[in-house]
Order: sequence, then structure tokens, then C-alpha cells
Amino acid sequence: MAAESPKSAPRRAAAAAAKNGAGLGLLSPRFLSAAEMAGWDEESLLLAALVVEDTPVRESRRKRRPSPAGGSAGSNTRKRRSRRPPPGEIPPVMLALDDEEEKPNNPADGKKEIEDEQKKAVVVETKQPSRSGKEAVPAGELPCMDRLREELSCAICLEICFEPSTTPCGHSFCVKCLKHAASKCGKRCPKCRQLISNSRSYTINTVLWNTIQLLFPSEVEARRSSTASCSASKDEVKKQNPPRSNTNLVQSDLRRSRNTGGSVSSITTQDNTNTRISSNASRRSFTTQGIRRSTTTNNTGSFVPQDTSGITGRTGGRSFVQASQLVATSRVGSANPPSSDDDAALAYRLQQEEFATAFESEEGGGETQRRNAVSAARDSLRAMASRAVRLRARGWPL
Amino acid sequence: MSSSSSFPTSRFPFAAGGAGAGGPGGGGGSGSSMRPWGSSGGTSVSSSGKRIQKELLDLNASDCSAGPKGDNLYHWLSTIIGPQGSPYEGGIFFLDIVFPLDYPFKPPAVTFKTRIYHCNVDSTGTVSLEILKDGWSPALTISKVLLAIKAIITNPDPYNPLVERIARLYLTDRAKHDEIAAEWTMRFAR
Repeated sequence: MAAESPKSAPRRAAAAAAKNGAGLGLLSPRFLSAAEMAGWDEESLLLAALVVEDTPVRESRRKRRPSPAGGSAGSNTRKRRSRRPPPGEIPPVMLALDDEEEKPNNPADGKKEIEDEQKKAVVVETKQPSRSGKEAVPAGELPCMDRLREELSCAICLEICFEPSTTPCGHSFCVKCLKHAASKCGKRCPKCRQLISNSRSYTINTVLWNTIQLLFPSEVEARRSSTASCSASKDEVKKQNPPRSNTNLVQSDLRRSRNTGGSVSSITTQDNTNTRISSNASRRSFTTQGIRRSTTTNNTGSFVPQDTSGITGRTGGRSFVQASQLVATSRVGSANPPSSDDDAALAYRLQQEEFATAFESEEGGGETQRRNAVSAARDSLRAMASRAVRLRARGWPL
Repeated sequence: MSSSSSFPTSRFPFAAGGAGAGGPGGGGGSGSSMRPWGSSGGTSVSSSGKRIQKELLDLNASDCSAGPKGDNLYHWLSTIIGPQGSPYEGGIFFLDIVFPLDYPFKPPAVTFKTRIYHCNVDSTGTVSLEILKDGWSPALTISKVLLAIKAIITNPDPYNPLVERIARLYLTDRAKHDEIAAEWTMRFAR
């Protein structure tokens, strides 16, 4: 910022000239609308335009810009290109509240901008086929795919890591494999035999997991479906032998689903006609997904994850199958004593409430945050205006 | 099976491999691999079976080979060519490999089927190798085990011997030891 000071004098003069010519045209439309929302009149807007002069945002941005010849491909370069000022001209200062909407404010500048637009369009056209071609190429055809497959596969199951967990020594395995290895072969890293100290908490390496999901979607999906069908069959087996107490059942179910890192599932409820309806609410665990999604409660009170990806669609399908299976098994076998069913229902309701509160509070928090952001923006605008008023009152030279 | 093609089939005919016994089914018990092989009707493979199949496909060692014996994926037969420059040069050694049901987590049992004059291999074929006992790691594969066995054939470990007499001879009279070893190789492994 200190380096900007010698430049500020000509910039100020240019800005003043531009102000006389263009007036409010300096300000971007989005800023204008924001000001309107905040209830500003025209004068305070002009004052704001004056204030903007001593914010060296655009100047510093221009300094950081690399030479146009050395630009790399990508949307970032395109943005920069459109923002590039015409050479040999001192750029008028513009309020850069929003990057996308920058309107030219004199005809020559506008022409240049149009030229830039055309250039940009050409660039986009030339880039489009290569980029789309790159996307069209399936993941398996990348040149380094074999190496990647080797690097990203678990040394224990020799398949692509499914929900990888990284040991303190830096080796990654499937969480399941690592747990099996720790329980059966001692708590040492299978690769380097270093002691895994906190072997109780196996966290999934989310970056690695997301990378794997992007690189090997088909493998991951195949693995996921196989584990799902496997656990579904296990569930079935579990349901068929009547448990002693249903609270235990729920607990063990939860424990198991935590182990698999998959879905919270299988809670039985009871209605008046003593038929067992099991609703199986699957949801991605927070640790694996990273992004929390808002959920809604439907009529039966079971949680339905709002997820656009096919993952949850699949788990949903699975839960449906499982529910039907459960109904069938309960019809065939004799039902559990109602007391234990009540227990299960209670546990289910408790869990449901827990989820509901968690998600509601989260949603509310997001809204308040948004409101806070709006009010903060308004406050800052007001502060800018009042500062300008004060400066003028002090006789600041225009 | 890619590896079985490199077997000396005239000498030891192998069945084509375990793929017929177990297709790449997805419904294998990934957690509990205690299901005995073949009892599931041949449609699904447990996690150990999957891993063994994968190892079978990935085998690409030059001077040793391995593959299932018959249609049992858990019972392999392997050959190791006697390393050049050692008294075992020119010999073909057969090894029996039996995978436990919880395989990657427990070491496979490897025994020599061919007699060998070696201080770390006893007359029943048992190999004393640390990685086949307590030193086993689930990250080890059969190809690595075979590599380790090749290494111990070239460089015996007389300080942790299985056959004391051979180890003593190896330490005191290396030339005599090598002579006997070469003689045994000629007699049993050719």
C-alpha cells in the first residue's frame, strides 16, 4: 500500500475528471441497487464515489496481474483479460464491489472492452473443444491412471481405497481394512510397522477420499453397492433371530453403522395394529461428506436426505428394499414382545428429535448469518458515507 | 489365469485356476471372512478370496510363478528357480502355499515341496522366515513373500537356523556346504 502513494496524485485527478464526465456511471449497477436498498440519496452516492478514490483495490490488482502472454488456461484468466485496461490510458477508478459487472464508462474504453469480449469469445471457442474433449475422456484413459490406481489402492485389500484413513506415519488404507488389521495383527501400520497410537479414532482422509471418488467413480460405486448389499444381508440375518432387548438392537445397529461409516439405519416402530413398520433413514455421515445438507421430515417422521447425487438415491433404494424385507420377515416369524418394540420406538423418536434439533439449529444459523451479512454491508456503506461527509466538512480538497 | 501359462506344465499340470469356482461376486462377507471356501455355492467370494484373486492377476515375477492348485483358490502351488550364482542354480523348487481364511490378516503357510539343503528349511519343508510368522503384515503379498524366500535361498541366515547341522557347516566350511547343496539340487530339484 505504501508503494501506491506516489501514484495516487494523478489517479485522483483522473478520477475527478471522470467524475465530472460520468457521475454516477462510475458505480456499478449492483452497488447502486444496494445503495437504493440502504436508502441512499444521490448526494451520498456521489460522496461514496469520492470515498472510493483512495481505495487502491484496482491498482494493486493490476499490479499483481501476470503478463497476458504467460496466462494459463482457465476461467480466471478470462476474467482477468476482460478486466485488463486499455494500454496507454490511465484507468478511471471504479467501485469494485462486484467483480463480474463492470461497465465501460467512455466510448473508447467501451470499444476496447468489446474487442476484449470478442477476443474472449474466440479464446473460449478455441478452448471449448479441448476442454470438453478432456471431460469426455473417461477417467481410465488418463496417461498416469495406472500409477494413480497403484498409489491410491489400499495395500490390504489391493483395491482402490474405500473411505481411506491415513495413519500417523502417513500411509493410507481403507478404514475397514485398517480396523481389521489393528484388531487382528496389532496396532501397527501394515506398511511400516510403526505403532498407531490413537487407533481408536480412525478419521477418513476427506481430501483423499474425494479425490478417489472423482478419479474412480465406477470402482467406488461398485464397492459401495457390494458393501451395501453385504450389510443389508447382515441386517436381515440380525432381524431374523429375535433380539433380547430392542434397545440393545438399536445400539448395536448404530455401532455397526458407525463402524462401516455408512448409514444410520434400521429402527423399528410399532403402531396400533401391531404391524411392524421399519423406516430406514440413511444419511451420509458428517465426517465423510463435509457438507451438511438440510433434511426434512416426512409424514412418518423418518428422515429423508435431500441429496441430488446418486449415492443417496441408491441408499434410499436399499432402505426401501430392506424395509420390505423386514415387513416380510416379521410376518413370517412371530413378532417381538410389544414392550421391547416400545423401547425401540422410544429410542427412534429420541434420535429423530436429536437430528431435527441439529438440522433446525443449523438452518437457522445460516439464515441469521445471511441477515448479519446484509446488515454488515449496509453498516459499512453508511460508515463510508459518513466518513465522506466528515471529510468534506473538514474542507478536504476536491 | 495369466500366471499359470508360465508354469512348466509338462512337469506339473495345474488346473486352470480358481476363477471357475468363484466368480467376481459382490456379495461376499467383507467383515466376517470365516466362511469356508466353496460353501457359498460358488457365487460369492469373501474379502480374502477377492484379495487372493487380485494377487493372482497381479503376479508378474520373472523367475518364480504361483497359481492355485486345482480349483481351490486358497491352495496354491508355486515354483522358484534356483538363483544364479548360488549352489541352488538350475534347480526348480516347488512350494505349497495355503492361505488362511482371514488371509490378509494372517500369514499364508508356505512349505517347500522339493527337498533343499538349506539351514532355514527343514526336512518337512517348513521355512523359517520372520515375515511368515510374527513379522507378517497385511500389506505383504505372495509375490513379496516369494521374493523374500528367494533372498533367503541366496543368503541363508545361519544365526536363526532351523537345521543346526547345516548352519554350522555353512559357518565353518562354506565350500563343503555349497557342494552338498548343489548335489541336493541336482538330485531333487531337477
